[in-house]
Amino acid sequence: MTTTAVKGSSQKKGFNPFEMAQTQFDKVADILNLDSSARELLRQPLREYHFGIPVRMDDGTTKVFRGFRVQHNDSRGPCKGGIRFHPHETIDTVKALAMWMTWKCSVVDIPLGGGKGGVICDPHNLSQREQEQICRGWIRQIARNVGPVADVPAPDVMTNSQHMLWMLDEYEHIHGGKYPGFITGKPVGMGGSLGRTEATGYGVVYAIRESLKELGIKPAGVLASVQGFGNVAQYAIQLLQQMGGKVLCVSCWDQKEQQSFTLRKKTGVDLQALLGITDRFGGIDKAKAKDLGYEILPGDAWLEQEVDILIPAAMENQVTAENVEKIHKRVKLVAEGANGPTTPEADRVIKARGIHLVPDFLANAGGVTCSYFEQVQCNMNYFWEKDEVLGKLDLKMTSAYHAVSELAKKQKLFMRDAAYVISVRRVAQACKDRGWV
Amino acid sequence: MNAPDNQVDRILKALQERAKELNCLYRVDERLGQAGSSLKEALRDIVRLLPSGYQYPESCHARILFEGEHFEAEGFAESPWVQSSDIVVHGKAAGRVEVYYSESKPRQDEGPFLKEERKLIDAIAGRIARHVQSRQASAKGRRPASRKARGGNRRDWWAVIDFLRITDPHLLSRLSRKMVNHLCWNGVEEAQRLLQRLTSSRAQDGFDDNQPTARISLPDLMAMAEEAFHIASAHMEEDEILLKVQKWIKDDKAAFLLDALESPATTIPSLQSALQRFAQVGVEEEDLTRSTQTALRVGLMRRLFTDELEFIGTSKNFVEVADFCDVARRIVSPTDGHGKLGGKSSGLFLAAQIVKRSPEYAELLSSLKTPKTWHVTSDGLLSFIQYNHLEEVYDRKYMEIDQVRREYPHIIQVFKNSSFPPEIVQGLSMALDDFEGLPLIVRSSSLLEDRMGSAFSGKYKSLFLANQGSKKERLAALMDAIAEVYASTFGPDPIEYRAERGLLNVHEEMGIMIQEVVGTRVGDHWLPAFAGVAFSNNEFRWSPRIKREDGLLRLVPGLGTRAVDRVGDDYPVLIAPGQPGLRVNASPEEAVQYAPRKLDAINLKTGAFETIEGAKLFRQAGASYPMINEVVSVFRDGDLKRPMGLDLDFEKDDLVVTFDGLSARTPFVVQMRTLLKLLKSKLRVAVDLEFACNGKDLYLLQCRPQSYAADTAPSAIPVDVPKDRIVFSAKKYVSNGRVPDITHIVYVDPRKYNELESLAELREVGRIVGRLNKLLPRRQFILMGPGRWGSRGDIKLGVSVTYSDINNTAALVEIARKEGHYVPDLSFGTHFFQDLVEASIRYLPLFPDEAGNDFNEEFLTQSRSVLKKLLPDCGRLADTVRVIDVPAVTDGLVMRLLLNAEQDAGLALLASPSAGGGGAVEPGRKDSDSGEAPWLWRMRMLERLAAQLDCVRFGVKGLYVFGSTKNATAGPSSDIDLIIHFAGTADQQKELELWLEGWSLSLSEVNFLKTGCVTKGLLEVHYVSDEDIARKTSFAVKIGASTDAAKPILLRKPDA
Repeated sequence: MTTTAVKGSSQKKGFNPFEMAQTQFDKVADILNLDSSARELLRQPLREYHFGIPVRMDDGTTKVFRGFRVQHNDSRGPCKGGIRFHPHETIDTVKALAMWMTWKCSVVDIPLGGGKGGVICDPHNLSQREQEQICRGWIRQIARNVGPVADVPAPDVMTNSQHMLWMLDEYEHIHGGKYPGFITGKPVGMGGSLGRTEATGYGVVYAIRESLKELGIKPAGVLASVQGFGNVAQYAIQLLQQMGGKVLCVSCWDQKEQQSFTLRKKTGVDLQALLGITDRFGGIDKAKAKDLGYEILPGDAWLEQEVDILIPAAMENQVTAENVEKIHKRVKLVAEGANGPTTPEADRVIKARGIHLVPDFLANAGGVTCSYFEQVQCNMNYFWEKDEVLGKLDLKMTSAYHAVSELAKKQKLFMRDAAYVISVRRVAQACKDRGWV
Repeated sequence: MNAPDNQVDRILKALQERAKELNCLYRVDERLGQAGSSLKEALRDIVRLLPSGYQYPESCHARILFEGEHFEAEGFAESPWVQSSDIVVHGKAAGRVEVYYSESKPRQDEGPFLKEERKLIDAIAGRIARHVQSRQASAKGRRPASRKARGGNRRDWWAVIDFLRITDPHLLSRLSRKMVNHLCWNGVEEAQRLLQRLTSSRAQDGFDDNQPTARISLPDLMAMAEEAFHIASAHMEEDEILLKVQKWIKDDKAAFLLDALESPATTIPSLQSALQRFAQVGVEEEDLTRSTQTALRVGLMRRLFTDELEFIGTSKNFVEVADFCDVARRIVSPTDGHGKLGGKSSGLFLAAQIVKRSPEYAELLSSLKTPKTWHVTSDGLLSFIQYNHLEEVYDRKYMEIDQVRREYPHIIQVFKNSSFPPEIVQGLSMALDDFEGLPLIVRSSSLLEDRMGSAFSGKYKSLFLANQGSKKERLAALMDAIAEVYASTFGPDPIEYRAERGLLNVHEEMGIMIQEVVGTRVGDHWLPAFAGVAFSNNEFRWSPRIKREDGLLRLVPGLGTRAVDRVGDDYPVLIAPGQPGLRVNASPEEAVQYAPRKLDAINLKTGAFETIEGAKLFRQAGASYPMINEVVSVFRDGDLKRPMGLDLDFEKDDLVVTFDGLSARTPFVVQMRTLLKLLKSKLRVAVDLEFACNGKDLYLLQCRPQSYAADTAPSAIPVDVPKDRIVFSAKKYVSNGRVPDITHIVYVDPRKYNELESLAELREVGRIVGRLNKLLPRRQFILMGPGRWGSRGDIKLGVSVTYSDINNTAALVEIARKEGHYVPDLSFGTHFFQDLVEASIRYLPLFPDEAGNDFNEEFLTQSRSVLKKLLPDCGRLADTVRVIDVPAVTDGLVMRLLLNAEQDAGLALLASPSAGGGGAVEPGRKDSDSGEAPWLWRMRMLERLAAQLDCVRFGVKGLYVFGSTKNATAGPSSDIDLIIHFAGTADQQKELELWLEGWSLSLSEVNFLKTGCVTKGLLEVHYVSDEDIARKTSFAVKIGASTDAAKPILLRKPDA
């Protein structure tokens, strides 16, 4: 199947996220030369559940909400994926995201498949009690088709640990037992895992460390520039500095001025000092930073710096056709801490310039790996210390990185493509081994 | 004023005493007549009743000795000042009634006792004796018949009449007159005949008789009285007669207060003492006749609060005279004062009384308090001015506003250096003692303030005082503050405001309210646990489930100053009391982002009013912050948790102000909802309340009709607009407001947007909107688009923008087009709802496919779009994003958006630009006085500047203006955007910069004098070179741009 065929089918409806995911898969399937039955199986989810959730509203009326769960593939283990509360949720979005989860779990080689779910609702229009009823109603409809050994939900858009605990409680009530491994994203002390806060940022740096080894650069004295100063960026900077690296600048969002700016210090930023003047969302107090001796530069100045490593860890679409040329010639590595920070046009330039890239779904896979650890700990009802969690995370990230990198070298693939190829290959292999295709 | 120093007072005093005695006698009789209780019980009660008949009840104690037993009330002690009377039963002294004063009293007829009191005690002893005899008789076997019982009563009221005949014949004659009238009204013929006799036969002929009426002598009147009561006894029940007589006697007692109220000569101090006397007379208001009650209440409202009939009409049902007694105790007034307390005081007073008199909500609202308040009457200002000979200020309101502004700082100092009349100083000193060192707020309570429709909110000053230090220091600080508030009457802002409202010629007097600041000590600071404002009508609904009448609370920790005003860099917590479950911020991240970060407090050490970081204060104060568990939640691992018990670690925890505990664990929200509903229904107007809680009690601080700031007033929606002039209309979820001169419409076509195929294109739409946001004239364009602006989920459902991409729009319009049977939900701007509220950006949802809604799709999709000219690289999406230059396609018309929440209707129509320009009104923006509009003045100044600019000397080739000055939307604080086409040397540029800097600062100063807006220079100069113009880079794009182009200004010709 070719891309043109897909495009033809989408003419009447405009942008369709599921078709986009299928197109992406088709591209990889072509590289892998997958047979048609494997393609047919992986292009569609294995199972889709659609159901109604009647909820008694606070004013006494009853409203029926539409709920979904999509299980894309469970050949490598129980499905894993979030539950979204969104007023305009569509099945196509959920299907695309479920497929994406299959690849994401596979690339770090954890024994889980891909799933996603959601409810069409707007939490802004719902009281806490009504949201609780939606959560419990969702579980009542699907309790028999999910579970710690079948399909493990997690928080996603507009859902959080509170929703997870309501769902877990309802699930345990129905099944008459304690199954903390049924759901992840729980608070520490209620079945959550330590190390979750650090996981993504550290994961990015584990991948950087391995890349540097391959590039033959010593971590001591390596220079980096970071976009963003949220959770991921903060922990990435912390670990990078522990390894002897230096972060020359960070950029962040100025809530008051509604624009971003970059802070630079030639001697390297002082993480602790910056954290002291940072709000909860990674917004740094510009005036105080100035007092601390930081230069204030425009928002995308982070990208133009003379450094070895760029870490975009803010949001999507930051490296674009317009600014990609500004990347300094010294830059040898881009590690994508955020989701989709690089547009396809910019991707081509990076590829052409031979800059090594650790693609987003590998670089920031620390998060999903830690969810997997949460589930493992829950299933055995024994919880590790933080060091143990982070040690195991290092191991997982390191081996995942090398698997992708080796494939890239061997097949002369761009890292992003190699990561896709390896994850699809693992899933296709599992399906074959089970005799499905 | 208490000493009976004149005739009238002496008579009044005497009359009061008679009434007391009568009342006492009557109550003794009543007690004795009560069936089913023993003699001993009766005697025990009587010793308690007795003091009420005496001149000084509070220090009066009674004892009855009867058949060897003592009956006395608690606290009884013998003393040298005693009056007694024997109880003689069957000719033998069986006991004695004794009355003691516990302390020395002025000498009267019999020691400290009046001669009438002798009569009283004898009468009571006699009644007891007769009662004992009748008891003994009935005990011997004669059962009392019911007729007999009534006879007993009859004897009682006759006794009262008899008593009056001897002690106060005038009162008796007034009573009989009332009785005759009463009987006539009830159609008793004998009474009518009696009345005819009384008024003499001639009076019947009519009122136009010119002869004087014959005078009837007093003995005749007494006979009349006898006859009147005889007739009464034949026609009325005994109980009824007694009740009537009793009420009339009480009315008579209250007459002095009515007199005081009706006389325009009564000063506030004498009114105060009249009220004090009324309280001491011991009349229960409910004992008065209805008409007297109403007359007293209305009179008091009028004298102390307001002449407004509507207000009086509403309030008379909720207030009682005793309430005024409480208020009157805390009034400071000039000796000969006739002033009132002002609008703020009356609103709060009435609200408090309504709450008090609403038993149906007693359980919920009984704990609601009002802060202790002292008042300085409105004429205090006048007496202050006269005392210091400051009469020069009277005509200020007719001066030019810049003169007022220039001299205002001077006026403040003059006022502060003046002194107060001695009686005011004395009054304030008493007030300070009463406040016992609590921090205070001195607020204006102007007679113009808080009237319907013209809320002078924030126009006059309110000043906080720490009220710490020696009495002398505190008094000085208090007077200083009052002087400053007085001075603010003559400040430019209120004068401008009054001019706009046509209130300039109304005589303005300013009352002062001195209120304790509700709060508690936290470290060195004084602040309430939380405070805020509440509105009956919710004008900012964030969910379609919230109805307008669900109300709105704006809650902040600390002083409510941060909730009253929009502070820009911080957010209050918003709750709709009718739908407390629906919070604006649904996810923990949103709740944290829009949580209040700072709070206002009074620093008790420095005496200063401060804004402090919440996080810092919580860390320092820890659990000593009142209701901390109800105020904050803990943000940990992406979750917000309400703290429980001793949960909080103030060192480590990330505390976020959410008030989750307050709404979940306390009745607060229900209380506020009930309060809003109650006040709205009783006052028959939507209200605006201020409240605060010190951690224990909830206080109501202010109550006034809900009014609208200029930018939130409902707009009249015209009904006769021709179809072709309508762009769209709305009939659902409309808030209030008006955007008069919209020059540009950015229309993201819902159908075209839906057809976009790639994610990149969808994202590009958001980016284009963001770029347009920076290009188009601020607050003069609107954004219209499908579904949910700023949606974070599926990009297809709404244009992906952040607040920074839309922050210059005047309005955000979401269009919900029907898809099959399904109309998508809209976002109501929730993603940046609080930003929209604080920036006054209108939000409007449209449902074009619903019946009755206009939607001029042709205009929106067929009018020429200027997008390609503005952003030539966006050609691909020119079908999806359309930018309509309204004046260009309509021959100079603009679009006007009118919103009216009361009718739930909105209309966008094409109309001629409004005179004087002006885009959407921004918060804090003050429209200037009747003089020229800010833009016009700026333009004129620019022309002067251009005329003086030596082009050769400075190397200037052209001068252009753009932005708000050119667009006629400049506000008082707008700067003037200039582009200078420069082709000189670096030295020339330096010189030019210096020259312009001088202009800029001068203009800024003149602007300050005109408007009060402080700016650092008024000119914003951008330099462009020949090259810029050739390449259209930098600001050169504005020159000759296809929309919103910079306007060239004629330069002085090189000296020829």
